[in-house]
Amino acid sequence: MAALLEMRSIRKSFSGVEVLHGVDLDLDAGEVLGLVGENGAGKSTLMKILGGVHVDHAGEIRLDGAPVKFLNPREAQASGVRLIHQELSLVPAMTVAENILLGSEPTGSLGLLDRRSLTAGAERAVRAVDPDLDVHCSVESLPQAAQQLVEVAKALAADVRILVMDEPTSSLGKSDVDRLFQLIRRLKTRGVGVIYISHKLEEIYAVADRITVLRDGAHIGTASAKDLPSEKLIQWMVGRNIEHLFPKEQAVPGEELLRLERCSLKDPDSDRNAFEDIHLRLRAGEILGLAGLRGAGTSKLLGAIFGRFGKAMDGRMWIRGEAILPASPAVAIARGVALVTNDRKESGLVLPMNVVQNITLAALERATRRGFLSPGLERRVVESPLEDLDLRAHSLDAAVETLSGGNQQKVILARWILTGADILLLDEPTRGIDVGAKSEIYRIMNAWTAAGKGILLITSELQELLAMSDRILVLHRGRASGCFTREEATQEIIAHAMTTSREVSHG
Amino acid sequence: MVDRNTFPRLLKGSVLYIGLAAVFCTGCLLSDQFLTMANQRDVLWQVSLNGILAVGMTLVILTAGIDLSVGSVLSLCTVVCAMLLMDREWTTATMLAVPSMGVFGGLTAGGLTWWIFRHRTGRRRGIPACIAGVLGAAGIAGTGASAVDSGFSVLLVLLAVPPVGMVLGLVNGFIIARGKLQPFIVTLAMMISAVGLAKFVAGKGGQIHAIYTEGSGAHAPPAFEALASNLVVFGEKLIPVPALFFLGCVVLVAFLLRRTRFGRHVYAVGGNEETSRLSGIHVNRVKVGVYAISGFLAGLAAILYCAQYTQGKPDAGAMKELDAIAAVVIGGASLHGGRGRIMGTLVGVLIFGYLSNFLNLERVPSHLQDILKGVIIVGAVLLQEGTLLRWVRRR
Repeated sequence: MAALLEMRSIRKSFSGVEVLHGVDLDLDAGEVLGLVGENGAGKSTLMKILGGVHVDHAGEIRLDGAPVKFLNPREAQASGVRLIHQELSLVPAMTVAENILLGSEPTGSLGLLDRRSLTAGAERAVRAVDPDLDVHCSVESLPQAAQQLVEVAKALAADVRILVMDEPTSSLGKSDVDRLFQLIRRLKTRGVGVIYISHKLEEIYAVADRITVLRDGAHIGTASAKDLPSEKLIQWMVGRNIEHLFPKEQAVPGEELLRLERCSLKDPDSDRNAFEDIHLRLRAGEILGLAGLRGAGTSKLLGAIFGRFGKAMDGRMWIRGEAILPASPAVAIARGVALVTNDRKESGLVLPMNVVQNITLAALERATRRGFLSPGLERRVVESPLEDLDLRAHSLDAAVETLSGGNQQKVILARWILTGADILLLDEPTRGIDVGAKSEIYRIMNAWTAAGKGILLITSELQELLAMSDRILVLHRGRASGCFTREEATQEIIAHAMTTSREVSHG
Repeated sequence: MVDRNTFPRLLKGSVLYIGLAAVFCTGCLLSDQFLTMANQRDVLWQVSLNGILAVGMTLVILTAGIDLSVGSVLSLCTVVCAMLLMDREWTTATMLAVPSMGVFGGLTAGGLTWWIFRHRTGRRRGIPACIAGVLGAAGIAGTGASAVDSGFSVLLVLLAVPPVGMVLGLVNGFIIARGKLQPFIVTLAMMISAVGLAKFVAGKGGQIHAIYTEGSGAHAPPAFEALASNLVVFGEKLIPVPALFFLGCVVLVAFLLRRTRFGRHVYAVGGNEETSRLSGIHVNRVKVGVYAISGFLAGLAAILYCAQYTQGKPDAGAMKELDAIAAVVIGGASLHGGRGRIMGTLVGVLIFGYLSNFLNLERVPSHLQDILKGVIIVGAVLLQEGTLLRWVRRR
């Protein structure tokens, strides 16, 4: 029997530059294929070719042994190929049912919308992913995880045979990830072939049967997940051995930089508290990790310290001994605080601006002479942070949107190096970036702690958190549920504290 | 390396200038009057008012906003301008203009003092700035008030009318920024209210106020006519004075955008408001600033309108905001904010102006002209976005 999908020597060029050099890929029915590679390896391009988004490529695609050529996404969907992107493609204001059957709404005799069969059709699809989901509520009122499930339901409603998931868990908490994995396993039993793209190797190993690795547009290897140890996988991905993925260097803690006592924040989106009664201390040269499931309040905590929610935070806070509750980000920045948010596009970059302008955004003063911006001075000012970060932009005038995720993140870090911040609030600084760039960002964090800066770190990858943090404060539903030193902390202890409340200890 | 993408990419970057050249050449070919000195001067005349509005509109659009009220504000300001020139007593116009002058004087003097202290001495000094602000407000408003009985000079009109527009712009900006409302709605409301205010100020249900620079009774200073004359260079009437104002605005605002922190913040706020806020930019101040400047420029355009048509009337600027928006959009600015340049707007204004001009010269009926203009706006934007080229290539 022919494989469900065969892609043979796929080549693709953008503006005369070949980005895929004859890539092969096979997928059987009822199989999960992990597709991994660094950013720019060609994973997304390959999947867009499969989904009919890119059409001018060379090579052959066979479905069930029969050659096919999709001219647009519609044709691919008609053949049962569905892509789920990192960014969801749902219409926020419409209901779940309307979203699921968007574009294929059932119509009655007069060509009018048939509401009853719309609801019925949607319910059938939703039942497979989550029986509790109400198809009548609007998508925007759902948490991110549920929205992801709606996206899957949408694919199911269209009789999917090949499902491509591109970083589906980048915004999900641990329990939601588990739900998604259960769903993927159910899809397998129904004979759906799943291509799973992720930077998180733990997830790849948890869900994939086989793994295909791409590097620089070439097919490096395919192996069954059981036979491919992670060291080998990383070596395939980056083309060299990464000795220590987490090169933690411990610095000697110095003076106290930041202290919070009895801090609480009313959630701007609901009436309960985003977090309450938080105590923490951050000393120079220290990395304090913050762990918590989605909605535990860790991101809100960083935002509140930075003055993102105005005067909404109650409690007492000291920055280098000065009692202050920042009423705006400008106030916090003036005191050497920096916030790197978990969403580069939404709240990290100004996409239409170039690299230089993005870096100087928070410290334009340093690029002014006698009150006027000086373009020459501006370029000189960004040189040293760029050197520190080893930022490989083709040109300083390049639009930031053309950079890879890792380089975009470095642009944001450079911005805060320029302001001279020494209290760094990092919310998922390595989200969605490749292994090579990740380890560079860890290296930068080490350099910062060595220079006497303090870091509050949030990351959803437990391994990373355990490896980089000197201490870890765990939040559960907005309350501290544990605080552990580097020596005490293990994956089990942290995971347990993340899921249970306990009246305790302070960071 | 030349491949089939290089040409379209080059084309996309310079499509604006090619468009201007195309319109210009078409004009030359179609009409023998087109290239004459007199006609070129006419075009400059005609584009100047729209150009000044478009410069302000560019700033607003760069912040991802829109200002629908500039036409109405211009109307109001023409009425105020005409009444300030002709009347010799306290009227509705003076009662609007004198406090506005105070606001303008206060903000300018205070702002400048604060800026000088900050950048020349490196310190933030609130108190001297406040003192300077109060003095500036009192000084300018006082000068205005004392001139009411003797009539406003040309210089005083230039100091009194744009501030009226600026105050309305401040109101726009303040409501948009603090109320977190959509600029479309707020400026639409202002568009309606400002016309009402213009009729009220004009009195008698919105009468027209004519401006005479001579005659037996009270009349405007003869120097006012200079604002509607041509600058004579080498014995030749070369450049219309309104065009000088327009070019002045272009140069000043281009400088503002390129070389000041405010200008950079305008791009940042339009490009990503949340990122801007998290980078310590005072987003609200930037918003209030751009609407204030837009209103100010509408007031400036109103003075030139008065000089040109020797009257002020409550419907002088009806629909003018749409021409300004069209010019900005043709000039390549994105309504999503963050992208666009003043040079683009200048070219957009000229394309629009030359187009109207040769259609008029060819005596194309006005309804056909309007249809054509609509087509050209959409075509220009399609070209800018590269959509048209993609369609062509796919064939």
